[in-house]
Amino acid sequence: MIVAASNSETIPIEKETDIVTARQVGRNMSRQLGFGTIMQSRIATSISELARNIYLYAGTGTITIETVENDEKTGLKITALDEGPGIADLRKALEDGFTTSGALGAGLPGVRRMMDDFQMESTLGKGTRVVVIKWRE
Amino acid sequence: MELTIQTINHETEHCVVLGGEIDAYTGPKVKETLMSLIEPGMTLAVDLEAVEYMDSTGIGVFVAVMKASKKAGCPFYVQNMSSRVERLFRITGFYEFIAIRKGEDK
Amino acid sequence: MTRGLEAEYVQILRDYLDSQEEDELYGAQKLGKFLLRRDISPEEMVDLHGRALEKLGDVPEFVRASFRILTEVMIEYGNAQRSLNSWRSKHAQLQSEVAVASAMQQALLPQNMPTYPSVEIGAISIAAHEISGDYYDFMYVDEHQFSLTIGDITGKGIPAAMCMSMLKYAVDSLGEIRLGPDQMLRHLNRVVERNIDASMFVTMLFGCYDTQSHVFRYAVAGHEPGFLYRAQEGRFYDLAGSGVALGIDGNSQYKEQEVHLQIGDLLILLTDGVTECKLGRSYMTREELISNLQHEVHLPSQNMVDQIYRRLLMLTQFEQRDDYTMIVLKRI
Repeated sequence: MIVAASNSETIPIEKETDIVTARQVGRNMSRQLGFGTIMQSRIATSISELARNIYLYAGTGTITIETVENDEKTGLKITALDEGPGIADLRKALEDGFTTSGALGAGLPGVRRMMDDFQMESTLGKGTRVVVIKWRE
Repeated sequence: MELTIQTINHETEHCVVLGGEIDAYTGPKVKETLMSLIEPGMTLAVDLEAVEYMDSTGIGVFVAVMKASKKAGCPFYVQNMSSRVERLFRITGFYEFIAIRKGEDK
Repeated sequence: MTRGLEAEYVQILRDYLDSQEEDELYGAQKLGKFLLRRDISPEEMVDLHGRALEKLGDVPEFVRASFRILTEVMIEYGNAQRSLNSWRSKHAQLQSEVAVASAMQQALLPQNMPTYPSVEIGAISIAAHEISGDYYDFMYVDEHQFSLTIGDITGKGIPAAMCMSMLKYAVDSLGEIRLGPDQMLRHLNRVVERNIDASMFVTMLFGCYDTQSHVFRYAVAGHEPGFLYRAQEGRFYDLAGSGVALGIDGNSQYKEQEVHLQIGDLLILLTDGVTECKLGRSYMTREELISNLQHEVHLPSQNMVDQIYRRLLMLTQFEQRDDYTMIVLKRI
């Protein structure tokens, strides 16, 4: 359970360069938190995938990156929020191979595997919210 | 396991020219293609001249397409079948349910 | 990744840079296998290489920076690898499910042949893969009669297995009410038409054999015609009868056929796995099949079906494309 959150930064995703900004913010914050170089890259990649999904399928949305703590450890939490069309079948969207053609939700299974916690909610016509956390070992 | 699918769209008819093998592996692709072309008011014609092999799963595809096209009110024809395919259609009794069109009166 | 591993990698790299010998490269190959077993991802490997370089000397900044590009690219490869691992475990799970289904399916096939003093029965059914789309069964009717079913379900695998268990249940239940073969198929057709996918159908021959009069009454639903062998003439005839396969049209009607066996005559029932044998580039003709049957007609029924299977398997160079079932019924 998360007991504290700090250092929150929200990046609006409206154009492709916003994806780069989100990646950069995520990479910097993960470096400050003391993640190794690979983990920094994996976090940046995950943010990139989440932001791309917003850009490609919802048009606009936000990526929020913050430091979180629970009783034992510190981590980085990323929240992707949009008011796009939503995803009808979340289980399917998270299946490997579902999105090989680059369709909706591309890269989500990869994000789920690279991160520690993964939550996703979606309502058709209302939008999608994805929350992931990577804990520092 | 080679399959070729070529779709020619005329004003009132979609003609799908199939070639190669239609079996359990390629059948789903054939089914997907044909099902997507079932439209009320349009005719769906399938040319089987270049089909070298078809097994019972292949016939199953045509059974499903026939049922769906009937429901949708979209006439469905098969043309230019080889004697092997015709034999399969006859043995299974499917021959009497499917509209066969001779190649010439296209 | 452990320090030990890093040290070992640094060592391999140093040795190679010194000697540039093939055996160091061989060592690296073995290390690659080891790393894969340990599930080390491509991006971790790139990182390891970068760190090893730092241990070996001064790394120019442009080289160091270039590693960031490589890492970024490698993460995608890493994702592919992680995805493959998840496919693998899903595949293993599916395989074990298939194995259980296959065993269950075996249990649906008859465990014993009916035994009557005046007929000799042989049967063989071999699936092309784990799960068969072929089905056959015998049913005791009374002390002089038994019925038999031979069928072929389109497709293979799980859908075929599910359909087969439904068929078996329907045939068993309908068998209780002693329907004639034509009525049996008419009822089965309704069951199949209502309960299976639109793209599936079942071809079937259902018949009842009277071991006193030696009359076989049967009906056919879209099934590959079998053969009748007349011992007196030493000739094969196509078994008459046709009808629409089960599941195509709910209103199909079937016609009862009748054949009378003399001593030594054979009924040979089969599925299309037998007739669709591929010999090289062409398919076996019915005449070729007959000549193969001819060679074995003198054998006891079970030996005959076993021997014909072996013969055809040899001719197709041991490549069995489709499920194969043959039943031979001989009046003795």
